[in-house]
Amino acid sequence: MAGLTMSRPGLGRGVVLLVAGLYFVVPIVCAFAFSVGIGSPGQQVGLDAYTGIGAAEGLADSLALTLKVAAATVALVLGVLVPALLAVRLAAPRLRTAVQAVCLLPLVVPAVALGAGITTLLRWGADRYYGTPLFEGLVALQDPDFPVILVLAFAVMALPLAYSTLDAGLSALDLRVLVEAARSCGSSWPRTLVHVVLPNLRGALLNAAFLTLALVLGEYAVAALLGYQPFAVWTVVISGSEAQMSVAVSIVGLLGTWALLMVIAAAGRTKRLKEAS
Amino acid sequence: MSIPLTVAGSRATLPRPALDSALVPRRRSLRVAAGGWLGVLPLFLFVGVALGLPVATMVIGAFTTPSTSSAEGGLTTANMAATMQDPYLSSLIGSIKLSATAAAIGAAVGLPIAHAIVTSRFRALREAVLAAAGVLANFGGVPLAFAFVATLGNAGVLTNAFHLGDLGWSLYDMRGLTVVYLYFLIPLMVLTLTPALEGLRVQWREAAANNRANTVQYWRHVALPILLPSLLGGFVLLFGTAFSTYATAAAIAGSTVQLVTVQIAAGLSGDVLVGQGNVALALGLDMVLIAAIVMAIYLPLQRRSARWLA
Amino acid sequence: MTELLTDRMPTLATGAGSTVEFRGLRRTFGATTALDGLDLEIRPGELLALLGPSGCGKTTALRTVAGFERPDAGTVLMDGEDVTRIPAHRRDVGMVFQSYSLFPHLNAVDNIAFGLRMQGTGKSARRARAMELLELVGLPQHAERFPSQLSGGQQQRIALARALALRPKVLLLDEPLSALDAQVRQTLREEIRRLQQQLGITTLFVTHDQEEALSMADRVAVMRSGQMEQCAAPAELYQRPATAFVAEFVGVMSRIPGRLASDGRAVHVLGCSLPVHGELPGSTDFGGGARDVDVLVRPETLGVTAADDGTSRITAATFRGAGTRLTVRLPDGREAVADVPTAAATALGAGTAVTLSLPDCPVLVDRPRGAARPAGSAVQQPVSTTRRPWRRTR
Repeated sequence: MAGLTMSRPGLGRGVVLLVAGLYFVVPIVCAFAFSVGIGSPGQQVGLDAYTGIGAAEGLADSLALTLKVAAATVALVLGVLVPALLAVRLAAPRLRTAVQAVCLLPLVVPAVALGAGITTLLRWGADRYYGTPLFEGLVALQDPDFPVILVLAFAVMALPLAYSTLDAGLSALDLRVLVEAARSCGSSWPRTLVHVVLPNLRGALLNAAFLTLALVLGEYAVAALLGYQPFAVWTVVISGSEAQMSVAVSIVGLLGTWALLMVIAAAGRTKRLKEAS
Repeated sequence: MSIPLTVAGSRATLPRPALDSALVPRRRSLRVAAGGWLGVLPLFLFVGVALGLPVATMVIGAFTTPSTSSAEGGLTTANMAATMQDPYLSSLIGSIKLSATAAAIGAAVGLPIAHAIVTSRFRALREAVLAAAGVLANFGGVPLAFAFVATLGNAGVLTNAFHLGDLGWSLYDMRGLTVVYLYFLIPLMVLTLTPALEGLRVQWREAAANNRANTVQYWRHVALPILLPSLLGGFVLLFGTAFSTYATAAAIAGSTVQLVTVQIAAGLSGDVLVGQGNVALALGLDMVLIAAIVMAIYLPLQRRSARWLA
Repeated sequence: MTELLTDRMPTLATGAGSTVEFRGLRRTFGATTALDGLDLEIRPGELLALLGPSGCGKTTALRTVAGFERPDAGTVLMDGEDVTRIPAHRRDVGMVFQSYSLFPHLNAVDNIAFGLRMQGTGKSARRARAMELLELVGLPQHAERFPSQLSGGQQQRIALARALALRPKVLLLDEPLSALDAQVRQTLREEIRRLQQQLGITTLFVTHDQEEALSMADRVAVMRSGQMEQCAAPAELYQRPATAFVAEFVGVMSRIPGRLASDGRAVHVLGCSLPVHGELPGSTDFGGGARDVDVLVRPETLGVTAADDGTSRITAATFRGAGTRLTVRLPDGREAVADVPTAAATALGAGTAVTLSLPDCPVLVDRPRGAARPAGSAVQQPVSTTRRPWRRTR
């Protein structure tokens, strides 16, 4: 809209952005204030909430659980998606709509509904297969130290987002040409995939991994329904007794996510800039 | 429901020529096709098990009589019918009202904000805000709830400073939740609208002026009609997202608020009434059906707007 | 389209054309100067092409008429009236854009009728006029189609129809054919010209394609760095360029070294003495007396003959159907271009030694340029405007 010289929208635009900025910044500022004790009558101002995070009860366990599950989820999501997307583009283009439909299907099942289905399934399975080896398998699935069931659930929930990211990344590549060029240079299929395709997908893979990680870190519904205490659930549990600390933890989490996001975006951008020049 | 967008924004798909099987020797094409199916198999298996089984359980459970009644295990529509009566019906309506209101406000507010961002001359501002929008749109759930409780809750900073409690404000009712939901709905709308607004060609603005349209007429006859599919699509996406939200509402209001998601969780844990597990599953099925309708409306709208604004 | 179109559809005629005048237009965008004192007068009913390299300001000039650019200084006059301050949506001009010209959400008829709708014309009157224009551009059967269902050429025709819908005083075309295929471009070029002549509407046409400008326009204004180099009919531009830039921008021009006689009336070149037809401005800065000059030669006038003792050598021979283009290296290291009939070029292959000759006709001279042509050589002559014609010495 450059050509038409209009001076007034500059003002309107500034006002809009200012008001919006306020709405989004104020809760974070207030949350921070709350966590250090400003604004609450009868509270001492101090950074106790933050310094106490390290020593908080149950934090280490819940973080460990969350990170373990997150790593496994990322591995599962990428391990399932990458072969499928590569196969669709290189070998079976007709399956493209089917794969897209399957990957976007989880959008239709809200987290709570998924959690409800899983809980019921596990209970029913426990009832029906009690005493059989399958029962042992189900128990192992729900092992509190490493609940595979959570990994499965989170991977399903992360699928649509990871799919969009990887698909966009693959669209930007001329995959077929790349592979044919590598193959004509005498590279075998496995080597082509590892040394040619994957490095070019690095940005998209990182993005997808990061979005999955963010999802796992923030996921509450399914984990709570299944009775586990990863990070998000833990913050709710602790909020009863340590309100300030739970807010402090939330802020740290938010800022950390933001920082990580900017880093990844910047890394992706500078890489592209370098290639373009 | 989460955003089907990438962090860096969506990119158009390059057109792909179809595999010309006539030129490829039959034996090789079979092997290649087999490789294709092999690559896709893990995905299909995984989704079939991890998604299909729970959904199937939910569907079956929704139509099964609960174990507390005498006719155990039989198929019945009583659960689905129960979801259409109080107290479940009021929670369904409550969810729909909350989601619709929040989505409408989010759409109405998101448009001027997105427009302000897109027309800004400072590229750095634009990138920073879009990145922030990406984070905020995904920043739902527990941290958001706590931030708002700290700000506008009963003992919140602003509540104390401005004595909002005396003015009748409560974070824990529908109005309060709407304000909280907007925190991630507005960024979501901005992210959805930004590509559409960028697709508004400057030539259309100039052609409109060339054809005697002033600014108001341009927006009314050209820009808004062209943006309408994106606006509607965005609204629908916002509705779906708000509708499926659980963590935020639960962390703020616990099980006191009349929302479907909260009701389902309560029903499963035997919180409210024992033996309502099957009705909870029926409610879950209701949610899936509503979400399916939402997607059925959203996808064609998105395709239409992509066609005009690509 | 029939010959007597405007007889059949009298409502389409816009009457006597309007005049458009630029006076001292100046416009800078930050560090770049787009327009640097542009003066131009467009006559009623003529098609004037603005031609020049990218960045010369031709599009800015066009957009200033449309109202999309406001000049820092200078005025735009239409029919003698100052329209510089009038906003775009109140000017009486019709514009066709290079691409994305049509509204995607409206079909062809509604696109064309858009301006009428903004003015409040009734629905049936709008539709009637839109159909009239659709017939004019030859697409009545596509009335209900949407832009995404039309080809590039069809879209531009509808854009043209829309530009004419409100009977504007001036028609503005911003490189309308650049985004189209070569074939479509050719056809559309002729149609636009035919239409413009039948309607008698004053038209300003921006292009970077020489062939387009020379074949379509009544006059061509060659621009460079925000100023006018020369504004003249195509033939005059080609045969009697006013500045070195125009000489080399329009068509191909070779430079042959020669020696100007002290009276400035003849030049000794390629072994013969030829009358001087004109000198480009600035070349007489040396003052009187014999001096070295460059003779400017078009490829079709340069004669090439094989000769064992020839001082020039052919470096390339490009077959172009009926004619062959020869690139010849002169003794001083520079290259000249000659077009010869293919039939006569059998002995003239790469590496052949040749002698060059010129017909006994008046020639154009310019101050000499260095022996080896540097890339993007800066021209030292002052830039001329339309008010300063090329210098005739006879």
